[in-house]
Amino acid sequence: MKRKILSALLCVAMTATMLAGCGNKADDSTNDANQETTDDAAGDDATAGDDAAEGDDAAAGDDAAAGGDKLTVWCWDPAFNIFSMEEAGKVYQADHPDFNVEVTETPWEDVQTKLTTAATSGDLSTLPDIILMQDNAFQKNVISYPDAFIDLTDSGIDFAQFGEAKTAYSVVEGKNYGVPFDNGAVIAAYRTDILEQAGMKIEDFTDITWDEYLEKGKTVLEKTGKPLLSCQAGESDVIMMMMQSCGASLFDDEGNPALVGNAALKKVMETYAALKEAGVLVEVNDWDQYISTMTTETVAGTINGCWIMASIKTAEDQSGKWAITNMPSLVGVDNATNYSNNGGSSWAITANCQNVELAKDFLKSTFAGSVELYENIISCGALATYLPAGDSDVYAKGDDFFGGDAVSAKIVEFAGKTPSNNTGVFYYEARDAVASAMQNIVGGASVDDELQLAQETIESQMQ
Amino acid sequence: MSQVKEPKKRKMSLERRHNLTGWAFLTPATLMIAVMSFWPMIQAFILSLQTGKANNLKFGDPLANYVRMFRDNVFMASLGNTFLYLIIQVPIMLILALILASMLNNKDLRCKGLFRTAIFLPCATSLVSYAIIFRSLFGVDGFINTVLINLGILNTGYNFLGHATSAKIVIIIALVWRWTGYNMVFYLSGLQNIEYSVYEAAKIDGASPMQTFFKITVPLLKPTILLTAIMSTNGTLQLFDESLNLTKGGPANATITMSHYIYNMSFKYVPTFGYAAAMSFLIFILVAILAFVQMKVGDKRD
Repeated sequence: MKRKILSALLCVAMTATMLAGCGNKADDSTNDANQETTDDAAGDDATAGDDAAEGDDAAAGDDAAAGGDKLTVWCWDPAFNIFSMEEAGKVYQADHPDFNVEVTETPWEDVQTKLTTAATSGDLSTLPDIILMQDNAFQKNVISYPDAFIDLTDSGIDFAQFGEAKTAYSVVEGKNYGVPFDNGAVIAAYRTDILEQAGMKIEDFTDITWDEYLEKGKTVLEKTGKPLLSCQAGESDVIMMMMQSCGASLFDDEGNPALVGNAALKKVMETYAALKEAGVLVEVNDWDQYISTMTTETVAGTINGCWIMASIKTAEDQSGKWAITNMPSLVGVDNATNYSNNGGSSWAITANCQNVELAKDFLKSTFAGSVELYENIISCGALATYLPAGDSDVYAKGDDFFGGDAVSAKIVEFAGKTPSNNTGVFYYEARDAVASAMQNIVGGASVDDELQLAQETIESQMQ
Repeated sequence: MSQVKEPKKRKMSLERRHNLTGWAFLTPATLMIAVMSFWPMIQAFILSLQTGKANNLKFGDPLANYVRMFRDNVFMASLGNTFLYLIIQVPIMLILALILASMLNNKDLRCKGLFRTAIFLPCATSLVSYAIIFRSLFGVDGFINTVLINLGILNTGYNFLGHATSAKIVIIIALVWRWTGYNMVFYLSGLQNIEYSVYEAAKIDGASPMQTFFKITVPLLKPTILLTAIMSTNGTLQLFDESLNLTKGGPANATITMSHYIYNMSFKYVPTFGYAAAMSFLIFILVAILAFVQMKVGDKRD
């Protein structure tokens, strides 16, 4: 009897699911009808629905259903770029009351995976209207999938108002594909109280070379037991920052890997190995451990993109104990400076965007035209690459966490002095190969052999 | 004529009806497997013959990708790593699982359910989260280092994941922790099929516990051992999560697995799907060869 009831239940469940499955189509059509009517109504109300109102009826209905006055966005950091995007939505809403922006939190790795999947399958419909793209991946993605992005060159956005080195990341073959967003200017942050114990001041670390940094680092280590710098093993952030500080790249102008015979790279590798050997630089395994070296006072400082300030500030008890200055420069390398860049990202409009004009206008009047927006988002450490924002009073205000220093203005100044570099299409391949080489060199291998091997690895992966 | 034929015809139609019913039941599953599994496999094979980046794939030298992988030092490193895991980790894990299973099969053991659950529980954790937990356990200021420093064995934290050998050992430990319980469950269920009277008879004949284990348990469990060996080999060759999340393939590609490199080639780097597909086909071939060898070695039923 029990079994019979059970089988009867199963049958019911199966039929139910089947019916539900088959019934979708009917539901869809009614939904569509509903949506069309509501959209039509909305279109009548809002004069801004220019795109949707034009064209033949059916297509307009579809367009409106997908686009309308809403833009979908993918970006990844709730405290930073998601917050900024939402603020931008509010700024735009002031003039366009029906507008709204829908942000989906998507980690960068997922954005990349989804983008690759959509673009290679040729079905872009899974993509949102706007994505935030890492500057380092911009060339790779646009060159690999030129059809997946909208050319913004003639969109009316004035790209001259952004830092030149920054805009260069999103320019492919002379065309602008991205609106620059956050600043990755490198800062060197130090714990002034720990430096004091070693008898030093922040001024002793301003405009110095890596050689001086090493010597001073040894003193700090000796007197306080704390290394000056921590970084993630297997990641080449520090290496790439050193490279860019003298405008050097892992690729030549034709895009071929140029590791062998690259004087700047060799110097960088030697400098890094010396820092590691002296114990002035300590390697940890992942990002959380890296952050905790700072928050738990294991290290006396760090060197990274200015966005690292947001993480430093999470240790509220260390307020007033930090100070910011520029990074050390390489010794014996042409064009060596104390300025570099790490990270940073730009907004790109995908080819799936149903309302390109709206998206262009939105970016133009917010991230590429609103000083107000940049004033609103400075609280989360989003420093502008939009130059007019740098003149704002907000940027000149001191930050108590960093001893009352006007850090924002300082960083904008650093950004202006940063040399541009050539990421190349095969940036990630090169980064990994160099990181591997670095780990072997730290383990005692010869610099020349490892660079030769790394070059071969990149060449093989570029096929 | 027709009268003679009729019963025959009816019989045919009955048989046919049975056959048709059978096929009707089989068709959905067969179609699903064909569409969801075999068709993509064929497509992947066609893809593996193409070269080029991103969407610019073209047919050239059909074996180009297969030749390329043997010249690719990162792929060769990943192949070496994967086989190292396979050769060291799979035997340790299976032997451990077998020992645990025969211990927990003891009828007089108290709290059997508790122990079984405790050993099986690691299997219920997600691959990513356990890899991340192991990463923090073995961090420079992680739990393991703290314990070793407090015991006076180490002076400062040792970066387990920063050295090639220790990183490999950590991955093997993690794998053993995660998968031993899973295999133990197979052995436990296999042990239920062995009559207890066989053990009683052995006991009466004066067999030691070691003898019963090697002379009764192991031979009678052979089909299960074969199954777990093939499954573990298959799983190890496709190892991905641990490499990606625990060590990120480092230091200097010392722990990267084949699947991790395939992922890098498809998604992290400029996509090279043809080459990536060729590499995954090599894994497929390796799994097939190893399973075949194990079947030949392990299965002596005929």
